Amino acid sequence: MAQPQLDVFQVIADPSRRYMLQLLSQQSLTINSLAENFDMSRPAVSKHIKVLHAAGFISIHDIGRERHCTLKREGFTELQQWISFFDKFWITKLKKLESILNQKAN
Amino acid sequence: MKKISHTLFFPHGPEVVWQYLTNADLMELWLMKSDFLPVAGHQFQFRIPPMPQLEFDGVIHCKVLDIVPMKKLSYTWNSGPGDGKFTLDSVVEWTLHPKDNGTELQLQHTGFKGTEHINMFAALEGGWLQNMNKILKLANTATHGTTTA
Repeated sequence: MAQPQLDVFQVIADPSRRYMLQLLSQQSLTINSLAENFDMSRPAVSKHIKVLHAAGFISIHDIGRERHCTLKREGFTELQQWISFFDKFWITKLKKLESILNQKAN
Repeated sequence: MKKISHTLFFPHGPEVVWQYLTNADLMELWLMKSDFLPVAGHQFQFRIPPMPQLEFDGVIHCKVLDIVPMKKLSYTWNSGPGDGKFTLDSVVEWTLHPKDNGTELQLQHTGFKGTEHINMFAALEGGWLQNMNKILKLANTATHGTTTA
């Protein structure tokens, strides 16, 4: 049952999973209606959905007999955290370089 | 934000600025200690404090991609949780432009894998926020109508 947890980047490296996220960004869909967009077996679709779910990209709700998938935002924030972290990192480092070079005589 | 870009001006010729980008001893003064060598294909590392919440073991794995003396230097900038896989996959590029009285240095940190989804997410979040505001307004109106707190 437990499968290795993939990180955000591994999750969205797969084109099918990216397309699933795109479809879900427009509306919530049942697994069946999602599967109609793909030329792959239903178990293969389910497997991708499990991966998206495990990584926090989507949530799944059982309504009647149908499983509804909805986009979640947790998975997307990690990347933004990285970019803003390194933006601050470089600003700090570049200030240091600037002060070193500006003190240096020509 | 999908990429990082900063431009600086130094009152020095490109040869001086270049030294600070490519000499490991000088790099350590402002950036970090590393085993950098100005050779295409050379692999080197930087170390910063680990960040477990981002699956980062503290090691930045770099490889020199392109090096054109006094003009351009680029290297990969990858990291991960320490199991050999990279969760951060990006590229740092330095470009030097000689000017009359100095050098303009541009840093670009780009190629973050996965950024194509940030726009989608931002659009989505915008929509949610608007809806949340509507709900809050309605909730506030309802509350104020029934209580006198």
